[in-house]
This record gives sequence, C-alpha cells and structure tokens, in this order.
Amino acid sequence: MKEDYLLNKRILLVDDEQALLDLVLSILKDYGFQNIKTAKNVKEAMEQAEKSRPELAILDVMLPDGNGFALMEQLKKGGDYPILFLTARGEEDDKFKGFGLGADDYIVKPFLPKELLFRVLAILRRSYKDENPLVCLRDSQIDFSRAEVIKQGEHIPLTAKEHDLLSVLYRNAGRIVTIDALCEAAWGDNPFGYENSLMAHIRRIREKIEQNPSRPVSLVTVKGLGYKLIVEGK
Amino acid sequence: MKSIPKLIRRFMGIMTLSIILLVTLNITFFAILFVRNASTFSPWDMADHAAAALQLTDSGYSLSDDIMAKLKEENAWAVLIDNDTRQVVWHTDHLPDNIPLQYTLSDIAELTRGYIDGYPTFTGTAQNGLLVLGYPKDRFWKHTRASWDYGFIADLPRNTMLLLAVNIVFVFLIYAAVDARLLRSIRPITNGIQDLSRGSPVCLKEQGILSELAEKINKTSAILQNQAEQLRKKETARANWIAGVSHDVRTPLSMILGYAGQLEASETLPETERKKAAVIVRQSSRMKDLINDLNLASKLEYDMQPLTRKQENAVSIVRQVVVDFMNTNIEDTFSFEWKTADTLSACYINADKDLLKRAIANLIQNSINHNENGCVIYASVDEDSTSCRICIEDNGTGASDQQIDRLNKTPHYMICDTNTTQQRHGLGLLIVKQIIKGHNGTMCIDHSEYGGFKVILIIPKSIYPPP
Repeated sequence: MKEDYLLNKRILLVDDEQALLDLVLSILKDYGFQNIKTAKNVKEAMEQAEKSRPELAILDVMLPDGNGFALMEQLKKGGDYPILFLTARGEEDDKFKGFGLGADDYIVKPFLPKELLFRVLAILRRSYKDENPLVCLRDSQIDFSRAEVIKQGEHIPLTAKEHDLLSVLYRNAGRIVTIDALCEAAWGDNPFGYENSLMAHIRRIREKIEQNPSRPVSLVTVKGLGYKLIVEGK
Repeated sequence: MKSIPKLIRRFMGIMTLSIILLVTLNITFFAILFVRNASTFSPWDMADHAAAALQLTDSGYSLSDDIMAKLKEENAWAVLIDNDTRQVVWHTDHLPDNIPLQYTLSDIAELTRGYIDGYPTFTGTAQNGLLVLGYPKDRFWKHTRASWDYGFIADLPRNTMLLLAVNIVFVFLIYAAVDARLLRSIRPITNGIQDLSRGSPVCLKEQGILSELAEKINKTSAILQNQAEQLRKKETARANWIAGVSHDVRTPLSMILGYAGQLEASETLPETERKKAAVIVRQSSRMKDLINDLNLASKLEYDMQPLTRKQENAVSIVRQVVVDFMNTNIEDTFSFEWKTADTLSACYINADKDLLKRAIANLIQNSINHNENGCVIYASVDEDSTSCRICIEDNGTGASDQQIDRLNKTPHYMICDTNTTQQRHGLGLLIVKQIIKGHNGTMCIDHSEYGGFKVILIIPKSIYPPP
C-alpha cells in the first residue's frame, strides 16, 4: 500500500548529527521518498527552507545554534506545513503534550524505522488527503475530496460522520483504531456512550464500501477493541 | 497545642490543693498550741486557790505547803491586803523590795487591772482581805485590757474567712499574670516545635525568659533545613545523572535500532541474516525500554515527576495500550484477547493518563519479555462499587509461588537501602508499583487461570460522576 502522491512530497530533515541524518535519510529513501533535503543547524535549515519550500519538516529539538521549537516558529512563517519532532529527551514530553506549539507529532529516540515511517505517512495523509485521487479498497474506492465511495462504477455519497470516521481509519490504514478514538473523532471530547451509534455508522459504511457487508474484508472488526481499514496497494 | 491548657489546669489544681493544705495545717497547729497552753495553767485559778488555802492561825496567816511550793516553783510572790486597813497583813518571804505595803483604793483598782510596778498580778478573795498573787515580770504577755468592740468580735469569723478568700484570689491573680507571661513566651516555642516536626523552616525571636530555648530551636531548624537541602540536592543530582546518561545513550541506540530494523526488513538479505538483525532489534528495543524505565523510575522515586490526574475512562486507556501493542511492537507469536465485559463501556478513575498507560504497557511488555516462545495476553477491566480492577495476564510460563511471593514483598534494588547483589525483578514492575501508589491503588501479582502470570491493578473509582 504505497501512495505515490505522498512519496513525491518535499521533506526537510534537520539534525546536527550526521549519522542520524544518514539513518533517517536511508529509512525514508528506502521507502521511496525522493525529495529529501538535509540541514545541520538553524541557519542551514532556513536557507534550505527558502530554496526548496518543504511540505514536511522533521526537526531535532537540540541544534547547535538554537532549538527546534524556535526553528519551527520561523519555518511556519514561510509556509504552513506539518512538522515532526525527533527528540532524545524524555523529559521534553511535557512540551509536546497537546502540541500547543504547533508541532504535529513527535518521536522519542531511539525509534524503529517502521515507527518513523508510520508517523511520517500519517502526518502526510492527514495534511494532504485532498490531493489523493482515490483510496483503493478491495471492493471499492474512496474519494475523500468529493466525500464519496465508488463501487462498481456507482458513486455513493458519504455523510459527514462517515467521512470523519473513514478519514481517521485511512490515516491509520492497516492499524487498529480504538472504539474510543473513533467516537472522539465523530462526536468530540466526551465520546462516551456512543458505542451503539458507532456500530450503526460502521454498518452503513460497510454497506457502501464492502461487497458483502456481513463478511467485511476492508473494514474489519477487532473484537472489543476497534476497527481496521485495509487499503490495497497499487 | 492541647497540652498547654492541660498543663495550666494541672498547675492551678496543685496550687489550690497546696493552699487548702497549708490553711488546714496552720489552723490545726494553732488550735493544738492554744488548747495545750490554756488547759495546763491559769494564774487566776491559782490566785483563787491560794486565797482559799490561806488560813488565819494563832501565829498569823499561813499558806498550805503545796501551794507554797507551787508559788516558789513559779518564782511568784503573794500579799494579803486587809479589807479595812488596806495594809499588807501577810506576804510571802521573797517579796520584791518595791512592792508597797500600804494601798489606796485607786491602787487596788490599778492592780486588779493587771500590774503592780510591772509585775503581772492576779487577785483572789480571802476571808478578810484580798490576796494578790504576783509573778515575775516576763512570765505573762502584757496586754492592757482593751475593750474589744462587740461587732468586731462578732464579725471576726466572717472577716477572717473574707480575708482568707481575698488572699487566695490575690495569689491566683498573681499566678495567672505570671503564667500568662510565661505562656506568651512558650507559645512561639511550641509553635516552633510543631513547625519543626512538619519540616518547615523555623525562625523564632530570641528574647524573653525562654530566649535560650528559642535559640536552640532555631539552630535545630537550620540544621534540619540544611540536611533536607543536601538530600534534595543529592537526589536531584542522581536523577539528573540518570536522565543525562539515558539521553546520551539514546542517539547511539537510535543508529543500532534504526539500521538493524532496516536490515531486518531488507528483501535482499538471506533469511538467516535477517533473523540476526531481528535479534539486534529486539534486544535494542529492550535497552530502549530499560532507559525509559530507569529515567521514569528515578523521577518517580525522587518525586520529580508530579502526577497530573484527571477523570479518565480506564476502559478506554487499557484498550488504547493494547491496540498500540497490536499496531507496532508485536511479533506474530504474541496475540491479545480483550476480556472486558461488553456491558462495561466506561469505568471512571482519577488518573494521570500517560503514566497509567505506561504502567499497563509495562505489564504487557513484561509478559512479552518473559515468554520468548510467545503467548496469549489477556486484558480486562472490571469494577465493583468502589474500585476499578485492571487485569493483565497471560498463558505463558508464569512464575513459581516463591517468585510471586518475592515479587509481592521484596523492594526493588533501586529503592532498597541495603547492599545487595541478589537479582531482583526488573524496573518495569517497580514503575508499575510506583505509578499505582501515586494513584492510591494497589498491585497484586498472582497465578493466572490461563496458566501464566497475572497482575491486577486496583484503583479507586472517581467520586464525581462522569461529565
């Protein structure tokens, strides 16, 4: 399941340690990302940002000539794109809580390659979901920009709630999304007591995307825990 | 402080008792003295006796021998004054020189009031005259016959009692005033001692009668504060040291984990090489967990990670942790079963969400670490009227009764203050214990009905109803 439109995104990678730059570069390139620029300090990062106009920035928190948070604020002035932090400091957790500063996500070192890739892909999917022409499922395709499902040539519109739920499931494609997270996505901050409504919505989504809604293959149930959307690779 | 009024009450009691005792003692003493003095001897009786014993014989007047002996013993003298002539008609042998032998009426009146030339005199009526008994000058206390006012004598008992009462009241007032002063100077000192026991710094004014005590308390406080400060510094230094080391290990470990992860997933490497890479990944992941645990454990131990508790749904927290494991950190040999009843969609507790997630994740990681060949991990949330029970168990190798007993009872090496080389349980469970303690809950380790290890976390339910 690779989405080509994401692999062309311009990524700016900032870390003062060459070995770590090499590692992240290697992980991203191996996956198929092609437009990656690197910088080793704030100055280089600003120059690079002006030149290459990134669509995602991955920043280290500690840089030789400043910190990642200040760099983020400067970068955000040049354009609104998502930012992912890499940090070696567990105690910085508090700063990231709620991402009040505008960071989209953070990863604490050390990390597994698949963890980094998942975070990068999730952020890109969320930020650029409207550019994706179609999400391919086994028996249908989802067009998020038009909020509709195409099944056997037929265009079926999605309701707002169905669109919200599918967006969250797609962002975490291949992973389980808990019942609570889905309820929160659809009904907001106090999402308790909506389990039955959620089940009803899931059933209606399945009627739209599945060949046989009672034997789902794309939107599967993980008993007691949540649901998983399985996207087909091209 | 409750002991001060108690102390005063006791002092007052003792004083009242001692006053009553003293008064009683004095009255008894005087009564005994008075009764003894009064009953033994009366000079008036003696004069009457002597007058009666005086007899007129042919050879003149004579006194019986025993009376004479008594007079002699007392060193007293006697004269008999004739009724008609008012001349001394008889006297004892050793009459002082300046006693007159002729009396006028006014002399008689004078001597019956007490004295002849300073000698105390007592009179008795004889057959033909007046017997005057004289004693040495210092035999009796001299007092004029003051005519006491009747009212004065009549009111004497009442006035005495009144005087006594006024005296007692005065004594009490003086005592109370002195006590109040003492109390005023004691109060800051007792407050200071209370503050000391609470560990807060104390600075008393070093003046008044107890200034020395205040000075000592100030000194003690300074010593205690200094010690606490030293301890805090030491603990902070230790926690910072651990944080520093774990920070420095993170970047190199990133390389190991990152490249090994790539090798593990590489399609060009043969299967055997990929398996070796997988071992590196698994072991470096354990190191990563260890670093995170070490850092958190030291922070929790030294109270450097304050809990930020909010009302949270325990079911949703446990579900998220289980799903996080299923989404990332899991090998095929491990699987999960969600055992929470469908009817329980929420169980509200007052919790620090991140730390509680960490505790549950540690329990799951523990099951994974101790079952190399894989196992099924069962997660459930259950509730009773007061508490929420989170249970993580597995069907793996489990532990012996002895091991479980030790896990439940022995402290971890990080918080154990005796030197030990004995291998204790991992940091993972210590952190769970610390976190659950911070939530006023308990952790129980037991055998699982599925054959493996079982840990139950019992956390009090939130008092307030859900929003």
